[in-house]
Amino acid sequence: MATVTAGTCIIGPNIAVRGTVSGEEDLLVEGRVEGGISLAGHLTVADQGIVEANLEVESVVVMGEVVGDIDASQSVTIEPGARVTGNIRAPRVIIRDGAYFDGSVDMELSLPDHLLKGRR
Amino acid sequence: MANTVIGSTIVIDGEISGEEDLTVLGTVKGRIGLREHIHVEPTGVIEANIETATITVEGTVTGDIHATERAELKSNCRVVGDIRAPRILIADGASFKGNVDMEG
Repeated sequence: MATVTAGTCIIGPNIAVRGTVSGEEDLLVEGRVEGGISLAGHLTVADQGIVEANLEVESVVVMGEVVGDIDASQSVTIEPGARVTGNIRAPRVIIRDGAYFDGSVDMELSLPDHLLKGRR
Repeated sequence: MANTVIGSTIVIDGEISGEEDLTVLGTVKGRIGLREHIHVEPTGVIEANIETATITVEGTVTGDIHATERAELKSNCRVVGDIRAPRILIADGASFKGNVDMEG
């Protein structure tokens, strides 16, 4: 179970951001973000956090809700109780028991040719 | 963990609204509508019209400020825009260009 890491940037539970959030540090969303998040850092969507945005991050842990596509350069973790709707592209994708996920996963596998045939 | 903190490398382009305190060390462009306190730290840059209850500026604000209670400009801050609030404090050393309206 992931713990909530208190980064330097926090969107609190009673705050809504409509637009784009970009930066180079860890971000904790306890409130609501609509638009886009582009981060060279780690994103945590807390239990009550709601993100309706496409994400471009290094890594993300979702405990709340995400509606949008996730593009992570490292990993995506969907914790129990979390809800994610969208497509995920990341080298490491972890979906825990009890998590809800609706979408596709692309781990950029380098499969042998005969296995890739008919897959794309 | 009630406070919202916009970190120093963070840029928000859009609108922030809500009902809790906001501390800005990074950059916010667009609009801020809050019913609590906004603190703009020395590294903070706001290019937005602001509606809030109270605000303390130590950094840079470009835009109009409407505070229902109090606006405080600390020394070394830079503010360009009109300020409307019943209580307005401007410290020695603050840079400010704009109108002041204390009528509310």
